[in-house]
Amino acid sequence: MEEELNYTNAFEELQGIVNEIEQGEISVDELSEKVKRATALIKFCKLKLTTTEEDVNAILKELEN
Amino acid sequence: MPEKINDKTIFSLLEVTNSIKKTLEERYKSAFWIKAEMNKLNHYSQSGHCFPELIEKRDGKIIAQIKSTIWRDDYQNINRNFLRILKEPLKDGIKILFLAKITFDPAFGLSLQIVDIDPQYTLGDLENEKRETIKKLKLEDIYEKNKKLELSFLPQRIAIISVETSKGFGDFLDVIDKNSWNYKFFYLLFPSILQGDRAVSGIMAQLERIRKVIHHFDAVAIIRGGGGDVGLSCYNNYELAKAITLFPLPVITGIGHVTNETVCEMIAHTNAITPTKLAEFLIQKFHNFSVPIQKAKEKIADKSRRLLNEENTKLESELKLFRSMTVNILNTNENQIKNASYAIQQQSQFIVKNNHEKLNVVKAKTRIATKFNLNQLKVTVIQLQEKLEFQPILYLKNSELALENIEKNIQIMDPINVLKRGFSITYSNGKAVKDAAQLEVGSAINTVLFKGTIDSTITKIKE
Repeated sequence: MEEELNYTNAFEELQGIVNEIEQGEISVDELSEKVKRATALIKFCKLKLTTTEEDVNAILKELEN
Repeated sequence: MPEKINDKTIFSLLEVTNSIKKTLEERYKSAFWIKAEMNKLNHYSQSGHCFPELIEKRDGKIIAQIKSTIWRDDYQNINRNFLRILKEPLKDGIKILFLAKITFDPAFGLSLQIVDIDPQYTLGDLENEKRETIKKLKLEDIYEKNKKLELSFLPQRIAIISVETSKGFGDFLDVIDKNSWNYKFFYLLFPSILQGDRAVSGIMAQLERIRKVIHHFDAVAIIRGGGGDVGLSCYNNYELAKAITLFPLPVITGIGHVTNETVCEMIAHTNAITPTKLAEFLIQKFHNFSVPIQKAKEKIADKSRRLLNEENTKLESELKLFRSMTVNILNTNENQIKNASYAIQQQSQFIVKNNHEKLNVVKAKTRIATKFNLNQLKVTVIQLQEKLEFQPILYLKNSELALENIEKNIQIMDPINVLKRGFSITYSNGKAVKDAAQLEVGSAINTVLFKGTIDSTITKIKE
């Protein structure tokens, strides 16, 4: 069911959780789960900011073809 | 002097060319203003002279063409003027209005010697090109096309069109690579000349190369800078502007100059004044992504803490309420118990007292009653005493009478008295005979009478 995480949907999901928490829509019961998820999303987003997966050689090879 | 051979006057080439030169010099004594397209400047840096190709076109076809020269000193003057007014050096492919003399050199032939070029004319022409480019793009409804593309949320992968050794590229990378937030960009350089006429084809060629690997990139950055503010009219070129606006990725520009914006900058998705600013723009995009994440982190931590605190407070107040209520209930019950115990004490004291009184009354009554009873009993005892005294005498009397009767009865019972009346008793072996069967014939019996005894022998027995 879960679509592949990219920084756009990760960011949106994170904002969603922040909104929910801000609006007080989250009960103490859900809180732990949500915070866990948010932490994962933050980690993912931060990782995205500081790494890239592109490979110069692969692009150069494509350019030659 | 011409030779004469066989009736023929023969000129040497030099004589002819000298003649042409003389004729032309006599005919075209002064310089005059000419407008033409300078196809090629042909500047020789070593000598400093230029040999521009001048043409005139009609419907795309060259209808006139002539060589020309600009001597070093003239070129330097003209170029200075151009740079001052156009921010462009004298270059290929511009329309010029120039002051020229027609010259003829026996060795090099006919040419125009350009002594001055009016930069205003070229400026107008360049402005015209810019206006035309804008007009065409708008007419084709593609002027805003690149601007309307959505720049990736996190423009991390950049195809850079620049010159590796240029200051602009260096400035850009300085910001991108050395950012203190550790943001990581991926970029690949697609080198191209970035100013002058060759920039048009160069940039377009690189855009085509990028198109091949487009899925690896989020944006194309055209970065120039450090080359001075000249040679930028290429960015007003219609073909280049069109290629940029139609490019499927957002094209961002940091061309770095201070004069009027060029068309390419106008139609670019984003234009920054300098490469540094362009890099900062990208960093800002990362901030836009990163800051909310940081904020989200803080907000979530803060809100969670607050939520927990609120719940805690709620719980505590419930607890307090509960505690105070229980204390209340306990107090109430304790009071009730106290009251009840007091009431019981009071009540029991009352009851005890009451019963005590009743008891006293009963006691008193009992005492009185006992006294009365004792008196009665005394009377009864006396009466009984009297009875006792009298009774035995009566009893004795009665007993005497009974004894007398018994005596009489006993006297009546004496066998003597029976014998008197004629009855007798027969004995056998000393025992009174009551049954004849007990006797045997021939045995002796005696019979006792009132007076005397008879002994007999049995002859016959009837039973």
